[in-house]
Parts: sequence; C-alpha cells; structure tokens
Amino acid sequence: MPWDVIIFYMIGAVCVLSAAGVVVANNPVHSAIFLVLCFFNVAAIFVMLGAEFLAVAQIIVYTGAILVLVLFVLMLVDPDDLPEFHAARPVQRYVGLLLGLILLLEVGVAILDRSVVGRRAVADQQEFTQIVDLVGGNTQALGRTLYTQYLLPFEVISLVLTVGVIGAIVLALPERLGERLYRRRGTISLGHPRGTDLALPAGPVGESPIAGPTPGAEVVPGGYGRRLIMARDPNEQPVIGRR
Amino acid sequence: MGEIGVNHFLFLSAALFIIGMMGVLIRRNILIIFMCVELMVTAANMSLIAFGWELNSLQGQSFALFTIAVAAAEAAVGLAIIIALSRRVRTPVDVDEMRTLRD
Amino acid sequence: MENDQPLWLTFIVAFVLMNVLLVGMAYMTWFERKVIGAFQDRLGPTRTGPAGLLQPIADGIKLLGKEDLIPRAADKVVFYFAPLIVFVTAIVGVAVIPFGGTVEIFGRDVNLFITDINVGALFIFAFSGIGVYGIILGAWSSANRYSLLGGLRSAAQVVSYEIILGLSLVGIFILSGSLNLRDILARQQEPLELGPLEISNWFILSQPLAFIIFLIAAVAETNRAPFDLPEAETELVSGFHTEYSAFRFSFYFLGEYISMIVVSLFASTLFLGGTDGPGSDRYWGLGVLWLLAKTILFLFFYVWLRATLPRFRFDQLMGVAWKVLLPLVLVNIVITSFIRLAANEGIPTGWWWVIGAGGAVLLVILVVQLFTSERESSAAPATVRQP
Repeated sequence: MPWDVIIFYMIGAVCVLSAAGVVVANNPVHSAIFLVLCFFNVAAIFVMLGAEFLAVAQIIVYTGAILVLVLFVLMLVDPDDLPEFHAARPVQRYVGLLLGLILLLEVGVAILDRSVVGRRAVADQQEFTQIVDLVGGNTQALGRTLYTQYLLPFEVISLVLTVGVIGAIVLALPERLGERLYRRRGTISLGHPRGTDLALPAGPVGESPIAGPTPGAEVVPGGYGRRLIMARDPNEQPVIGRR
Repeated sequence: MGEIGVNHFLFLSAALFIIGMMGVLIRRNILIIFMCVELMVTAANMSLIAFGWELNSLQGQSFALFTIAVAAAEAAVGLAIIIALSRRVRTPVDVDEMRTLRD
Repeated sequence: MENDQPLWLTFIVAFVLMNVLLVGMAYMTWFERKVIGAFQDRLGPTRTGPAGLLQPIADGIKLLGKEDLIPRAADKVVFYFAPLIVFVTAIVGVAVIPFGGTVEIFGRDVNLFITDINVGALFIFAFSGIGVYGIILGAWSSANRYSLLGGLRSAAQVVSYEIILGLSLVGIFILSGSLNLRDILARQQEPLELGPLEISNWFILSQPLAFIIFLIAAVAETNRAPFDLPEAETELVSGFHTEYSAFRFSFYFLGEYISMIVVSLFASTLFLGGTDGPGSDRYWGLGVLWLLAKTILFLFFYVWLRATLPRFRFDQLMGVAWKVLLPLVLVNIVITSFIRLAANEGIPTGWWWVIGAGGAVLLVILVVQLFTSERESSAAPATVRQP
C-alpha cells in the first residue's frame, strides 16, 4: 500500500473520531479540545490536497477563534448545571441520529454516482504543478488568483469582516458606556477573582461592591477554579460556589 | 485500495459534515452547537479544496479562503451574541431556553 | 522546492538538530543565571563543575527525582497532556529554519534544513498559536483559581500579540515576495549598494520599525519578562503552572526556553540575514556559527530585559498592543507597500532611502502622538481607581 493511502486513512480516522468526540463529550472543554484536534488533522488533509497556505490559515484562524471559545466555556459554564442529555428530550437524539444517517446515505450515493462537471484549469496534474511552481508555489499562485480573478469578492470579504467586527463590538458592548470601567473589572477578571478579593477597588462613586466572600454563599473547596463567573449586572451580587 | 482519489476526500468531508449536523441537532449546549457549526463549515471547505484539486484549479482554494473569512466573522458575531445573552441569562448554555429575541 | 534528499538523512538532520536544541535549552538556563548574576553583581551558579557548567544537568536530575503530584480535583487526562502540547509545539518550529543550503558532508549532499515548505513563516505562527492551548488547558485542568487566571491572561495576551507579530512581518513578506524562509534568506544576501559601500541587504535595514515591534511582540508571545503576566509569581503564585511539579513542570520550563530559542532563530533569519556573514558563502560551518551568534545576541537581549524591567500591568499590556503597536505596524505595512510599488514602477533604489526617510519622519510624529495620548488616557482611570 502506498504511503499516502496509509497516511490518508490515519488522518481521516483521527478526524472522524475527534469530530465524534466533539459531539459526544460531556464536558464542553473536552469538546473544544477534540475540535482543535480535528481541525489540526483537517489542515493535514489540506496539505495532502496541495493547499499549504489554506492549511496554515486554517490552523491560525480557527485556533484563535476556538481559543476564545474555550475561554467562554471556562467563564460561562458551570459543569454542574449543564443541560446536556437530560432525559426530557430523547426524541431529539433519535431523530437527529436518523436524519444524519439518511443524509450520509444520500451524500454517499451522490458521491459515488456523480460525474465530474466543471472547468479544468489545465489538462493534467503535472502541467498544473508546473504552473504553480512557476509563480513560486501555492501561496503565490493563490495570491495571484485572489488579486486578479477574485478581486471584487476579496474586497467584499474584507467588508464582511469589518462589519462582523463592528457588529461583535456593538453586541458585546454594555448598554451604558458609563458602566464600562466597572464592568471590565468584573468580567474577564484579570485581577483578583471577585468575592475573594480583600481590597477590591470601588466601582463608580458611592457604590461599594462586596468585599470578602459573599455572605451566604457556600464556598466549595477544590475544583472551583472551573467556575469563574462573569459579572453580568452591576446590581447582581456575584456568587462564588454553588448556587 | 490503490490510489487516493477525490472520492476519499469527499467521503471524509461528508462524514465530518454529518457529524457536525448531528451535533447541532442533538446537543443543546450553545457552545457545542457553535463548535459543530464550525465543523460543518470546515467540512464544506474540505470538499471545495478537493474539487479544486481534482480539477487542477485554484478556484476551490480561493472559495475556501473566503469561507474561512466568513466563518471568522460568524465566530466573532456569535460569541458577541453569547456575551450579550450572558448579561441576561444566568447560564446561557441551553438553546431551548432561549426563545425570545428581545427582553 | 521540496526537500529532495533521502528521508533517513532528513531524520538524522532532525535528530541532531533536536538534540542540539535540547542541550542548548539546558545551557540557556545556565546562561540566563550567569547573566542575571552579572547584572546583579553576583556570580550565579559556581559549585557544580567548572563555572557551574554542570548545573543544568543537576537541575534536570533533581526535577526527575521529584514526586509527580496531581491535584485531586484535576482533570487528569488534560492535566497529563497540557505540558506536552507546550513542549512539542515549541520544538516543531525549528523544522522550517534554514541553517544553510545544501552542503557536502562525507561526500554526500546534505540539506541543512529539515523542511522547506512554502509557508514556513506562517507555520511557526500556527504552532506558537497552538502552544497557548498547553498553557490554558494546563491552567484549567489544575482546578486552581490562580492557575485559571494565569491561563486566561496568557490567552488574551498571546491572541493579541500574535496579531502584532504576524503583521510586523508583512513588510518582509511584501519585500521578499515569499513566505518561505529560504527565499527570505536568499533575498537578504543580495548586496545593497550604498554609494561606495556594499553591504548585505538585511531586512533590519529596510524594516527597522518592524524589527523593534517584532522583538516586543516576540517577548510577549513567549511569556517572558516583562510580559510574563501568566506566571506572575507575586500576584498569581506562578500562575498556570502552580499545580505542576516534577517533570511535568519541567516540560513547561523546557517549552518556554525552547520557544525562546526558536523565536531568536526565527528573528535572526528574518531580520539579521540568518546564516549570512563574512565568509559564510565559502564555508557552511561559518554560516551556522553566524546564525548561532545572532541567536545568542537575541537570547542575551531576552535575559537583559528580564534583569532590567519590571512587569507590566495587564491593562498596560493590552493597551500597548492595541493602541500603540497595532497602529505602528499598520503604518509600516502601508509605507512598505508604497516602497514596493515604487520599486516595481522602476524608481531606482537610491530613492528608497528618500521615501524611507520621509516615512521615518511620519513615524516619529506618530510615535510621539501615540505615547503622549497614551499617557493622558492612562492618567484618567488612575484617579477613578482610588478607593
């Protein structure tokens, strides 16, 4: 068996298994780890397909995005009250599984039954690699395609990204800007965790947030590193520990 | 077994897409649904690149690059929505409990 | 394009390189302790071996002999794997660094690089981006609040500074027209005529601003002082590796030092002409020595920073990245692309310096503007901060 076949099956197996891990894992952080593993192997597949630049772009872009995702999981999710797999909706699970299998069957038939329709850039593989090597490699070739043939879509994409970033900022911004300073201290808590801090600096004038553990909150020893809770509302008392 | 053809990559892509779809259908955790959507986008990318590879063309790769950019924008907006939700709901993870678009 | 020598030869080169890297890392700790000692008017390690040269080995044996503690509440599997992620991603970066061209050793052509991929520079970024997972997962799995804070800091810091790091190199990519490190190296060996003088066209000459920004961002990217907030001993009890002990801890340690070495190699290749230097075109060994000398220069710079500067506050760290470095780096890209365009349109190279000088004046104005406004804006919250 040639090497590329063996390597393809190895990578593919890891891909599929880790993708399944994303869906099956109970802990969202584990899901995120599986997702990173899966994307890493997808990048390897991209290399097999001769798309080196995209492979690296895939890793860089998705790594950044998913890293932020993991952070959210860490900050927002309390492992104890995950709503996962609760018995109330088993129907969903079976229907989902069934629909997935049906789609797999359909796609399988479609793939096996298809005939290639599409415009070939050049007649054969060898000529293609020659052309790509002539301009200096995959990155350069892709760059040329993007900046000549797809210039307009490229510009539109940059617009989409800008709009996306602005939209994200607008959505994530607090309602009143005056609260921003106060909030920032409480949100992605980069100083001391709230509620355990002895000398917490005051918020906006007059309002004094809590100092010391919240009265009444039961502090759970061990394992509460995983429940760093975001302060959502300045009026809401942050609760450390079990709710 | 023999040669690796485009069908291999297409099947892999289909498998990933369907696993992602099942994840969206089965799981209720908003973050995991988010991850599954990313998985589906990536699977689509893979088949684009595979077709480009088969047709000796860079068009597939160009499209995949655009898809990555759109996915990045989608991730930014999606996470911002989760932040916005987290101000209102205590643990904004169960999608079934989020039914309203406004307060 | 590709590495065309037999696979086993590449394996040997990789093996030698990896061992050199590991030994180099061990002696990096010795170097750091000696240099910091000198800065603080002490001797540093002296007891083990001549001038304390056996100290790294003694440290390694000590770390191996320690008990490997795992917190009861820890997520065991993730806790096991997290240090390895840091270590492996740090060491993989060296695969794309060229230590020379194809040379003849024992009558056989040997490539002095492991691989020659088309996207070499981005490859290093990709892996340094993955390296953060080791830190944040280790922090999370320790089930320790201080660790988690260290991990979160690290994530925010690395995500911000990776953007700066990447953009600071865009100028080089524009000038060299390639992401391949060997092409970039070849480009720097072209002579630059400066009147009667003829010097190698290292990118530090045409991209000085990018060089400075790259240095700052690289220090932040490797979590070294003064950007070592993820492991701030005084606030976070060592941050993400609080719960780690014995050899698992030393993987983090190894990872940090190896990524320092790899970033230094990378910086010397990109900005200081890598293996380029007097006599390097005749003897390949001299080229390797030049590269090592430049790398040691960068490593000394790292240690120097650690010995001199106090740690940043977190909001300062983020402020510097987004409000100062990002605009500067974007200006650099714009100026560089103008110069490249001018060169493409056939303006003789002598004019580059005129354009460069104009750009430099603009930059100075911008820098002054940025730093003064930064001071004003940072003064405002300080008054609010009073309890």
